[in-house]
Amino acid sequence: MAPQQVTLAQKDRKAFQDLLSCYELKQLTRGRKVADQILKKYPDHGETMCMKGLILVHLGQRDEGIKLIRDGMRKDLTSHICWHVWALVQKGEHKYEEALKSYMQALRFDKDNFNIVRETSVLQAQTRAYEALVESRLHMLRLRPNVRAHWVGLAVAYKLSGNLVEAKHVLEHFQGFLREAPVNDAEYSEFILFHVRVLEDLGDLQAALALLDKKSKDRYVVDRTAIHTFRARILSKLKNSNTESPQAAEWDTRAESEWRALLDLNSECTDYYHAVLANQGIDLGSLDDDSRTQALGLLSEFSAHSPKAYAPRRLALTVAEGDKFKELVKPYIEAGLSKGIPSLFSDLKKLYADPFKRQVIEEIVEDIRASSPSEPAEYLWTLYFLAQHYSFLDRHRKALDILNLAVEHTPTLPEIYMMKAKVLKRAGDPYGAVRSMDEARALDGQDRFINTKSGKYRLRAGMVDEAEEILGLFTRKGAATPGADLTEMQALHYLVEVGDAYNRTGKLNLALKKYYAVQKVFESFREDQYDFHQYSIRKTILLPYLDMLKWEDEVHSHPAYVHAVVSAALIWIELYDDPLLGKSLQPSHETTESSKKALSKAKKAARRGNDPSLRWRIFSTVSNQSDDKGLDAPPPKDDDPDGVKMILADDPLERAAKFLETFKECGKHIMDVCLTNFDVAIRRKKYMQAAQALVRAHAVDAQHPEVHLRVVQFGKTGESFMAYFSVSSLSDSIGSAVKSVLHETLIALKPEEISLDVFTSQYLQSHSTSSTVILACAKASEILGNPMKDIESLLFTSLQDNIELPVEDALRILSYLQRIKSTRAEEFRIACDNKFEFSTVFKSSDQQAALRQQCLLEEKEDCEDIETL
Amino acid sequence: MASHPAPPVRLSFASLTPQNVGTIRKLNAVLFPVRYGEKYYQDILQAEVEPFCQLVYYNDIPIGSICCRFEGRDLYLMTMGILAPYRSRQIGSQAIERIIEAASSHTKPKIGRIYLHVQVSNEDAKRFYERHGFKEVGIHENYYKKIIPRDAWILERRFQNADK
Repeated sequence: MAPQQVTLAQKDRKAFQDLLSCYELKQLTRGRKVADQILKKYPDHGETMCMKGLILVHLGQRDEGIKLIRDGMRKDLTSHICWHVWALVQKGEHKYEEALKSYMQALRFDKDNFNIVRETSVLQAQTRAYEALVESRLHMLRLRPNVRAHWVGLAVAYKLSGNLVEAKHVLEHFQGFLREAPVNDAEYSEFILFHVRVLEDLGDLQAALALLDKKSKDRYVVDRTAIHTFRARILSKLKNSNTESPQAAEWDTRAESEWRALLDLNSECTDYYHAVLANQGIDLGSLDDDSRTQALGLLSEFSAHSPKAYAPRRLALTVAEGDKFKELVKPYIEAGLSKGIPSLFSDLKKLYADPFKRQVIEEIVEDIRASSPSEPAEYLWTLYFLAQHYSFLDRHRKALDILNLAVEHTPTLPEIYMMKAKVLKRAGDPYGAVRSMDEARALDGQDRFINTKSGKYRLRAGMVDEAEEILGLFTRKGAATPGADLTEMQALHYLVEVGDAYNRTGKLNLALKKYYAVQKVFESFREDQYDFHQYSIRKTILLPYLDMLKWEDEVHSHPAYVHAVVSAALIWIELYDDPLLGKSLQPSHETTESSKKALSKAKKAARRGNDPSLRWRIFSTVSNQSDDKGLDAPPPKDDDPDGVKMILADDPLERAAKFLETFKECGKHIMDVCLTNFDVAIRRKKYMQAAQALVRAHAVDAQHPEVHLRVVQFGKTGESFMAYFSVSSLSDSIGSAVKSVLHETLIALKPEEISLDVFTSQYLQSHSTSSTVILACAKASEILGNPMKDIESLLFTSLQDNIELPVEDALRILSYLQRIKSTRAEEFRIACDNKFEFSTVFKSSDQQAALRQQCLLEEKEDCEDIETL
Repeated sequence: MASHPAPPVRLSFASLTPQNVGTIRKLNAVLFPVRYGEKYYQDILQAEVEPFCQLVYYNDIPIGSICCRFEGRDLYLMTMGILAPYRSRQIGSQAIERIIEAASSHTKPKIGRIYLHVQVSNEDAKRFYERHGFKEVGIHENYYKKIIPRDAWILERRFQNADK
């Protein structure tokens, strides 16, 4: 039975109005008193209960407040105030979809409440409900048509929903009655550019151009660069889409001059060069001999025009071939080395995709070295370049020899030691790399780049505490730990590296925590956009706003996010595959030395008042009234900071799937996401999902070794699945539908007539020199139930001289051998230790522990020699 | 051959800080036959010797240093050196002139002289200092204990009104 609704008497209604205005004015304590007075008389008045609850939330009594609001709502489900209050609370908890539903309820009972409509529109933008956003924006405009921002808001909503025609109508209508537009006004200028963009996207290029020309002539557009870029782009499009038009020639000349004007504004923008060449019909993506010569001619003209610009010279190196390349690259390199540009190699290495160019560059730089330049700095930079060159080609010994020469020549340049560290890292000696990076750091302690590298290299060597110590030299001194500060600063590279370091050393709980910390950073990116839905419209910051939305929609394809989610999902899979693993990672009950240390550290931090949750509170109370705690829910207290409870979760696969789902659309084309999706789905026996993930992975790269492995796995699973159905008499309709999908998927991925064994051996034969293929085929072989000794001997072929075996792949093979409990794992380790000249990663774990100790010991001063001066 | 003119050399100086003292250590290790103790590295970081303890950069590469300490009103030049590949380019001259300049205009205390030791086998160094107004004022026998020859010249440059 619905509760009897309480109605207030006339004078009490006034008190309620008073309560509302108290809240508006954030007079919270007074508001609470007024609410208490009303409730004394009407203890069951739902709206007052809700308002009081809301005030309590603001005052920091969150739980009590929310309880009161819930009770209040039960008393009065038809009040827009109750629903509005509830929506605010949900919004504070970042539950945008739920908040939106509550707002819709509120509107049912007060459909023209402007504030509610406005807040609804913000949530619709946040949740990308663009069709509904258009409705809300229309509603707002109908309620208050004389506000400029509402017209703008409606046009933007139409644009977001893809309805450009309506967007155009709104803009034109608005322009029509806007009598006196201000000259040189940034907001109106943005509005015009937005209008031009809508016309351009509609394909109405002439109208777009006319509008831009008129408005810029009348000085309504203040962004000069934008005028040029818009005009140049539209003219180029006009010319290309209307080649027959009598105006084509005029457009062509105008486009050309606009692009050139842009080049004069910024002669280092490679995009402009691409555009100006494209305008002349030269597509740098597909060149023939003629267009190549033409492009080089133009680029050299631009170089002559702006002699200091690097961009046209550098672009010419990409374009040129053969002798022309030799001719161009030589002065480029000479200038770079004599000027001492440290980044010269990273600038040129993109050209190394072409072996000819690589060879030419090597010869030129070796010639410079042989001529021993009289300038000592030039000679030094030449050595530095060559070291990078040979290291890039995995010629570690040669790179190290050159670096030793460089150290003899000038022992004080940090770059040399940093490069040495990189060479050692690539050669498989993370401990030597740490030492060398520390040597660089000792030379320049105030260089944060070196400091960060030093921290990263320690993490790579599995020295997490030591890394933290180094990174702490640059983090905020008041922070609880350096790691806490870097997390707060959203340092993704740190979170990922430290997560990986834990992952490699088997501390899966801690690794998971770090990967989930990455997710939190991306969640906060999502929340950060919230305030801009309204602000951008009000301030007419339209095109940047649209760009921001697009960025937000694609942000999950960020490499750090992909890496974190995939790594976390793989850990969940590991925990599922080995149910005892989680228990084995539980801390022993005796207090260990390190946990004691951590405990005292935490205590110290707490004494200093640096508990991160406390700090959060300080930041959030920006309001001038100090007792207002705001509506945002405080971050929940983490009662499992080391993740030891988390890894005991009984639903690891579901957690992995949930994490992977956050990719939504943008994960479709990312190989690692597809593969991991498959791995999770196949274990959850969600065969349709597995099939879909596999087909997507196949579409990204059909020849990828990991894809091959999963096709085999899928085929094998399918076989047992079919077998099950053929023996079982009850082949229900769902089962047979799944069966046919599985069958069709498999046919699309593998020729039907050949067996999985043959499929694998054919694949191996056609990619026989790749170590990743060898590993994938070995795993496939395991799935197909082949004997251990076959798998082992296949893996040992990776050691043959004709196989390209990077250190990382060798490590992967070794850990796979250990995982399948091969008796030959040790043999493989020793073989690798001999094969990789500088490596230490193939030493026994005792030896590696000793190396780890050593690489931090400072060299002892040779006291014997000290002169007592 | 090269179509580009060689860019002009940039010579610059920097004061010592705990952050770059590692560079001094590295330089001293290759430049001098003696090792210096921790006291030396603490002394060169003192605020009062800042104008007299400098790192020398050649095109932003640290290639040399000059370090002094106060002994009353005397300025004692402890170490000065430039890495071998960068010598004969007047870099040392510019460095010592910079120190002389700073010393002559220094007040509190007003500096009476700069003096230093040069191993008696090191004729080049002696000539270098003489070119910059230093004079030999004696020999300190058995100044060095572990390198041969053990004797050192004492060279000084006085700052008096007559000098100007």
